[in-house]
Amino acid sequence: MAAELTLQDVSLQFGGIKVLQDVSFAVEPGQIFGLVGPNGAGKTSLFNCISGHYKPTAGTVRIDGTEVQGARPATLAKHGLARTFQHPALQLHETVLENVLLGAHTRLPGGALEWAVRLPRTWRAEKALRAEALELLERNDLGWAAHLPADELSHGLHKGVELCRALLMKPRLLLLDEPAAGLPHAEVETLIATVRRLRTDDDITVVIVEHHMGLIAALTDRVVVLDHGAKLMEGTAAEAQSDPRVIEAYIGKDAADDAA
Amino acid sequence: MARVMTAPASSPSSPSSSWRRRPWVRWATPLLIVAVLAVLPLVGTEFQNETLARIGVFAVAVLGLNVVMGYTGQVSLGQIFFLGFGAYVTAYGVSQDWNIVLVFVLACLLPAAAGLLVALAAARLGGLAIAMVTIALPIVGVPLAKRLNEYTGGSQGLSARFAESPEGSGLYDDQWTLYLVIAIGGVVFLLTHFLVRGKYGRAFAIVKGNENVAASMGISPYRYKVLAFTIASAIGGVSGFLYMLVIQYTSPETMSFGHSIELLAAMVIGGAASIVGSLLGGAFYVLVPQLTNQVDASLTALLQGAILLVVLFVLPGGLASLPRALTRGRRRLRAGRGPAAPPTTPSSTPGSGTAAEQPETERQGHA
Ligand SMILES: Nc1ncnc2c1ncn2[C@@H]1O[C@H](COP(=O)(O)OP(=O)(O)O)[C@@H](O)[C@H]1O
Ligand SMILES: [Mg+2]
Repeated sequence: MAAELTLQDVSLQFGGIKVLQDVSFAVEPGQIFGLVGPNGAGKTSLFNCISGHYKPTAGTVRIDGTEVQGARPATLAKHGLARTFQHPALQLHETVLENVLLGAHTRLPGGALEWAVRLPRTWRAEKALRAEALELLERNDLGWAAHLPADELSHGLHKGVELCRALLMKPRLLLLDEPAAGLPHAEVETLIATVRRLRTDDDITVVIVEHHMGLIAALTDRVVVLDHGAKLMEGTAAEAQSDPRVIEAYIGKDAADDAA
Repeated sequence: MARVMTAPASSPSSPSSSWRRRPWVRWATPLLIVAVLAVLPLVGTEFQNETLARIGVFAVAVLGLNVVMGYTGQVSLGQIFFLGFGAYVTAYGVSQDWNIVLVFVLACLLPAAAGLLVALAAARLGGLAIAMVTIALPIVGVPLAKRLNEYTGGSQGLSARFAESPEGSGLYDDQWTLYLVIAIGGVVFLLTHFLVRGKYGRAFAIVKGNENVAASMGISPYRYKVLAFTIASAIGGVSGFLYMLVIQYTSPETMSFGHSIELLAAMVIGGAASIVGSLLGGAFYVLVPQLTNQVDASLTALLQGAILLVVLFVLPGGLASLPRALTRGRRRLRAGRGPAAPPTTPSSTPGSGTAAEQPETERQGHA
């Protein structure tokens, strides 16, 4: 059931600024795919084009062969696309558990009236998904934080909460935008383990934007390198790391991020 | 590291929140509320009962406003229109001798339909545009009510009485009316209380908090804004039915823009996104004019404005957030006592500030 993602000549412009230029690549079902490149290369914008938050100026985005460019993000989410954001925006005054439960939205049955009269099937579903959310938090070493307000957690941990929220959607295609940014080393190991487990336990395709080359090398089957909105190269993580063009793109612009 | 840091901060909160989770508290609280509400109409004077009934009417109106504005974050300046619409539908239906249940259903559904139509158009426009569209509602509603005098009685308005206490009940009319308000208002409050938790509560909150995140969770901001607006309109219609039940008269003045703003102020003062806050908002809406009218009617607007400012600065969550603000202040006080003196001083200010605010509101209640 994992989704297949195909991008063909995707371009994006804001006013006169070309943010993406003819980006094409294909992610096979079940792959873990890396998207790397210096800051400002257009990685987040590309995610926004896939998730429906931006409409590409030209080109096609296909999920399982269906063209989805221009579809609404809420529609895509209902069809199995989940994503995290580079800057997570949690409901800070709500508990971590309530934040994760937001991911259960499309899986919870019943209309507004049914929830207002508290039909048994609504709270039974809520209870089941609450247990599932707790289990997800537990598995990601966040069980201890479940009942704390989100604003008592560090920024790095917000990323973990956001990942759990996305996973609770049971997506077929998952887009992770810099999931390891700001995480201490031990937590990166946990993250790597979590994504690995996704591959074995869940039928899911994952695209990761990340500067942490250790994580990219450990997880991805294939990577695409973006620079100035255009595709620089495509290959394995090892090939990308040794490609002189990639090194130049990073050293020329953003050596610090590469080192991190 | 974060784990170590958060642990001490969380422990003081657990004792205060855990008693609420005890099973006997969870079923005893609703029982106690029901018992109090059942006895309430029997112990008060006629004047007290009428005041309580009017508080009930406007608490429901504020509750509706809270669904769209407090919980979903969409500024609505037209809530009073739906109260007025519901009141007119009720008055007309009663004057035509329609079955009262049918009248109630229509007083709920017609405003809901009007709200749905407005929201379908308005929610397409982002942010402040919704507020602008909703301003138009009472502005159009007042002349419309004057024009359609065949149905609305024009500027004279309509009166209707349909809540005489049933024979043999042994109740005075004011007691019977209050019972009806408590029953109908209570059901609306209960349904809303359930709705704003769980699936829909989270969806409304994320539409308010971050529309991009909402959309990525499969929650269409547009659809949920329309839904919240429609529910608010339906609840507004119910409050209009209750308005006719209690006040027995409506005129174009009922839905004037000024009242809509007062309703909004009542919501903020009671507490946005709070069920209890809606009740407090209704009490504020009714009691402040009642008290100031005894002194000088021209004071009302001044006092309402002053209270609004005080609440906005001292207690942005409204009166309903007072207990939480006090707990937080105390917690911060305790946490600040350890390492350094400076944090204690600023963190104690909100606590003492809110404590100073409380007697003020209580004094009004006893006056
Ligand atoms: N909504 C927008 N309006 C204008 N420019 C944008 C917008 N979104 C992104 N950009 C521009 O697109 C470029 C790529 O940004 P981004 O996709 O965030 O890069 P990355 O995620 O690779 O760091 C940046 O120059 C940014 O300013
Ligand atoms: Mg980015």
